Amino acid sequence: MTAVIEVDGFRFRYPGAGVESLRGVDLTVEQGDFVAVVGGNGSGKTTLCKAFNGLVPHYWSGRTEGSVTVSGVPTATSTVAELSTVVGYVYQDFSNQLVRPTVRDEVSFAAVNFGLPDHAARTQEALEMLQITHLADRFVWQLSGGQQHLVAIAAVMVLRPQVLVVDEPVAELDPGRAAQIYECLARLNASYGTTIVVIEHHTDLVARYARSVVLMADGAVVWHLPVAEAMARSAELDAHGVPAPQVVQVARAFERTGPVPLTPADAARWLADRGIEARPAAPTGPTGPAGGTARPVVARLDDVRHGYRGVDGRLETVLAGVDLDLHEGERVALVGSNGAGKSTMLRLLTGLRVPRAGTVTVEGVSTRDVSPSVMADRVCYLYQRPEEMFLTDSVRGDVALYPKGRDVPDADGLVDEVLALVDLQHLADRDGRTLSGGQQRRATLAVGLAMRPSLLLLDEPTSSLDIGSRDGVIAMLARLADHIRCVVVATHDMHLVAEWATRVIVLDHGDLVADTTPSRLFGDATLTNRVGLVPPQVAQLGRALGMDPPPLSVTELVARTGARPHAHASASGPHAGTEVPGGTHDA
Amino acid sequence: MARTTHDVLSVEWIKLELLRTAYATRGGLLATMDPRAVLAWYVLLALAPWFTHDATVLGLLFAFSVVMVVVSRVGPLVLGLFVVGLLTEGVYLAVAAWLFGGDVDTLMALAELTLKLGVVSLASMAAFVSLDPEKLSDALLALRAPTLVAFGVSYGYRMLPIFMEEFHTIVDGHRLRARPVPSRGLFAWRTVVNVGVVFVHAFYPMMLNTAKRTRTTVEALETRGFTVAAHDPRSRQVRLAHLRVTRRDVVVLSMTLAVVLASYGAGAVHPTSFR
Repeated sequence: MTAVIEVDGFRFRYPGAGVESLRGVDLTVEQGDFVAVVGGNGSGKTTLCKAFNGLVPHYWSGRTEGSVTVSGVPTATSTVAELSTVVGYVYQDFSNQLVRPTVRDEVSFAAVNFGLPDHAARTQEALEMLQITHLADRFVWQLSGGQQHLVAIAAVMVLRPQVLVVDEPVAELDPGRAAQIYECLARLNASYGTTIVVIEHHTDLVARYARSVVLMADGAVVWHLPVAEAMARSAELDAHGVPAPQVVQVARAFERTGPVPLTPADAARWLADRGIEARPAAPTGPTGPAGGTARPVVARLDDVRHGYRGVDGRLETVLAGVDLDLHEGERVALVGSNGAGKSTMLRLLTGLRVPRAGTVTVEGVSTRDVSPSVMADRVCYLYQRPEEMFLTDSVRGDVALYPKGRDVPDADGLVDEVLALVDLQHLADRDGRTLSGGQQRRATLAVGLAMRPSLLLLDEPTSSLDIGSRDGVIAMLARLADHIRCVVVATHDMHLVAEWATRVIVLDHGDLVADTTPSRLFGDATLTNRVGLVPPQVAQLGRALGMDPPPLSVTELVARTGARPHAHASASGPHAGTEVPGGTHDA
Repeated sequence: MARTTHDVLSVEWIKLELLRTAYATRGGLLATMDPRAVLAWYVLLALAPWFTHDATVLGLLFAFSVVMVVVSRVGPLVLGLFVVGLLTEGVYLAVAAWLFGGDVDTLMALAELTLKLGVVSLASMAAFVSLDPEKLSDALLALRAPTLVAFGVSYGYRMLPIFMEEFHTIVDGHRLRARPVPSRGLFAWRTVVNVGVVFVHAFYPMMLNTAKRTRTTVEALETRGFTVAAHDPRSRQVRLAHLRVTRRDVVVLSMTLAVVLASYGAGAVHPTSFR
């Protein structure tokens, strides 16, 4: 094996920054490796990867020390353009990287810019590599998020780089499509020998696809190890804000050292080898019917049909006759693949759109009879992208917009109270756009709370968040129960579903295909396969062990095996999902 | 009145119509031509009305432009705006002429100008509805416009749908969260003022969100050789290699030239004065 990237004592400080973002990085990436870079927020992962293709220090001209050598050429004496034929970079916000109108034009862009005479053949090759030839003549804005991501990768692969760096590939994708992206990266790695570097905080994907793992902390590499060894150091990972995969946590609950399984199938064998199996009776887990029908109804959808006209004038059906009652006290998760109709259902509940047929009523008021601004007294909708909710120049201004506009008595008091609840008083005067991802979500939650709605709707509240911020948002959601009659979350995040929801509505191509509980959803393999949902690893493992309904957290799984975990079970760490919302404590 | 979903004359419809217009999704005669030929066609027809004061010539040119608009499949939104514009201008001219003591002569002189502008507008519609962003940007590049201008045009088109969505979202946010309009007032003037205020307020978040988005875009452009292309003649060559003037282009251009000349000929034989 030869090294394709060598980093030697590299230090870097952004212009004007007080501290160094990279402080003495030593790292060697071998040709053909599949490397996952993990680490908490601000550990320097992205900056390091930008040093690979010369954006650091050529584009971001800060103070540097040490050297980065790519394919034998020191980046200091090269240019970004030269380096980009060796190292391709796909951004986390990949949709902003797409600059041309059609897919073919986008993919050929770099090859044409470099004036390569074989650009057409290369474009075709890149489209085939990513298996998106059928999309070639589509406009970029017609594509789904997952398709856009594949296009962004193809647009980089057209230069035939030796190394492909992908920053958080699956942040906004449903679990089914996330696996597709990774399968695709694995194929590039296996068939074309492309070295893959991903920045990733989903360690379950790291364990399954990566060959080596780089742990970063405070701008330096803590270690670079083969994936099995890296995952075995679950305590270290946890200490750096990177919780190990749930199957590793399960293994660590029984053995504090030694090898760990990397996938649920591995884990089932691992447990079997040690004679650990499920206890015959399933003692815990919610088994009652979904949602108490006796509770008062907050919102009702009655045979709702809706669709949008496309550019070609055809009517695309998004919801094909949905009947649904949402009751007081429910925590509803709305799941289904991208384009299943989740966001449309939320929008119909706000009254911003009225359905083509059927009625939507919230607290007895039909959205057809009143304007959305009147409906806003009852319903609040929090967008997927927080910046779209920041209408003023401060968090406080955004939170106050509704109570002041509606002359709510003691609006200032309410705003202060809400800001305290989401723990943002100290940032209240900043523009929401300048906050971190987790803070932005909490700020939008504050906007919602200040509206004091009966029905709160959230679109993907945990997407693009690292695990720590995500847990913060889930904890915040759990605390809303006292303030809001019913909360509906549209989400791809199955951990959020497992840890928070009491009721799950599954949409598939505009049809409501299941109305169930998290554990029953994850126990139904036919259903999850059909709608492309990937249950959390503990649920998969539980299913493999014959637990029905499957467990929703590591602690629950361990408790439901016959074996005794060791005395200081590490599974009860901060991210292990110790609380199981269920039928018993949530009524 | 109960609210329902409308397929035409709604905000969604306007958004779709803008996209159809910008991306030339309807096809049509000019859309199948080489973009340089389309620009040449446009220049020819847009200049033609300015060398005469004769009503016969202008009438014929106007009729020809209408035919071209039809074969170019211009959408109802753009066409509707044009007709409304033309009608209101007619009314406005009549009122202005009457108020300032003008007579039919004044009106006719102004009608001549309106007719000329009408020909140019119709030609613009036909041409630009038929040019999708890549074609327009390639044509500009072929005509030696700076790389940045050519790219800017195509990038602007690329961002159009995103801006429209984001603007709509922000305006919706204001509708839901800001102070509602208490009553519509005479001729709904309060609603009109409110819409104006919301549009101004929407500017701030739009600007900042765009600035944030562009950071990635600019870096990505750098890694994909955009600045290299600006100085590299090979890149220009490769990009424009696909442009070909075909027989169809030549036929359409010569036919248009023939129509223009014939109109002037007819004007010489049967002159009709505006006065």
